[in-house]
Amino acid sequence: MADPHKLRTPLAITLSVWKALFMRQTLSRIAQDRIAWAWLIVEPLLHIGFLMWLYAVGIRSRVIAGADTGVFILLGLQSLFMLRNVWARGMAAVDANERLYAFRQIKPIDTVIMSAVSEGVLVCVIFLGFFLGAGLLDHPVVPADPLGALVAGVGLWLLGLGLALVFSVIASLFPEVGRITRLMMLPLYFASAVIYPSISMPHAILEVLLWNPVLHGIEALRVAFMPTYIIPSGITLTYVYSVALGLIFAGLVLHVRYRTRLMTTL
Amino acid sequence: MITLTDVHKRYWTSRGEPHWVLRGITLAFPADRNTGIIGRNGAGKSTMLRLMSGLDMPTRGHVERTGRVSWPLGLTSSTVNRLTGRQNAKFICRIHGFEDEIKDRVDFIHAYSELGDMFDEEVRTYSAGMRGRLNFAIARAFEFDMYIADEGMGAGDAAFKGKAQKALRDTFKRSGLVLVSHNETTLKQFCDYAVWLHEGQAYSFDSVDEALKNYRQSIKA
Repeated sequence: MADPHKLRTPLAITLSVWKALFMRQTLSRIAQDRIAWAWLIVEPLLHIGFLMWLYAVGIRSRVIAGADTGVFILLGLQSLFMLRNVWARGMAAVDANERLYAFRQIKPIDTVIMSAVSEGVLVCVIFLGFFLGAGLLDHPVVPADPLGALVAGVGLWLLGLGLALVFSVIASLFPEVGRITRLMMLPLYFASAVIYPSISMPHAILEVLLWNPVLHGIEALRVAFMPTYIIPSGITLTYVYSVALGLIFAGLVLHVRYRTRLMTTL
Repeated sequence: MITLTDVHKRYWTSRGEPHWVLRGITLAFPADRNTGIIGRNGAGKSTMLRLMSGLDMPTRGHVERTGRVSWPLGLTSSTVNRLTGRQNAKFICRIHGFEDEIKDRVDFIHAYSELGDMFDEEVRTYSAGMRGRLNFAIARAFEFDMYIADEGMGAGDAAFKGKAQKALRDTFKRSGLVLVSHNETTLKQFCDYAVWLHEGQAYSFDSVDEALKNYRQSIKA
């Protein structure tokens, strides 16, 4: 450093904090929390295995609405798991990193954002691993529209980030909310077309399900991978991004409004 | 320089009643002087330290910092239990923007803390003294214009304490210090003057002795 008395710009501080938090969070997730790390791989594996067995033996079908069963399930599950992990980790980050706020540079919002980034990167790595494995087993894993897949994936991640930002504030003001949110994950699983194609739903139910932005994201991702996959009209990524940006905006507002309350337990 | 302008701080009691810890404090802590803060337990010393270091916000009034101000040393442990000493050191170097010279600084912390191989063990396996040494070594690896410190800093065995004391004297000759302590010897050794916190108000005295005299009288009364 040339001049010891020169102060860093706020942007430079934020960037160095983000880098440090990212390294710390990813490292402690991999190295220290071995069970959680194993669970990141084992949970989807068991899930996918069971569902594929169900489809192959129970329903005797290798193709769902014009899509390969394996890829269909893999995309649906991994997308939902990413969203759920980003949401849950980001929500817990504010309280889990309380001691770090002794450093003025670190704000609660930094820990939420970097938890979401770290979790997203980890899920992507695992996702690639699964795809490699599925590819070796002759499933069609190469996306027909790579850019579209990327846009859909990022949209789902942004949705998770928005949820994490909003719920991190709410859960830290009312700890009960955290528990209720975890209960909401199961209905979300059934309402997001993870284990069934949304086209298979009766129109009346579909009308309700289409309010769920996660369903839009997952179905758009599947179409980007497999253009023959049939989706109902009305599936659009614009909705995913609108809801995500709305949530992120609301989350940022909440973080600014309650910045003092988030830093202290009092 | 740290400036407090009409700072009020209120906490809520468990019965939901407001408790005003600080009631309108206006003070300036210059970067070329060493200030001691004294007061009874609960007089608001730690609260003031937290407000000065930006760990908490005042209910009314505002706090302004210019120059590089340290994190509150000794008030809370700056390390995380689940990471090793080295990972902690790296993390703190990174957030202070020393990405380029991270190796030098981490090596310095390793050597200064005298932790040896334990530097690569998780902090939760450390003894209290070892933690104190690590925290102190991390703080020593950075230069600040002003230090905010609680009396808890610089713990360790006798040999390390001697080294810490000498280092602190050198550092505080060059930069400013705000020190909260109950220890009269420590206060007299490091501080040029003192502020006495009493019933939400702050009283400045030109010498540490004078402030201590008032403090002692308030305890008797």
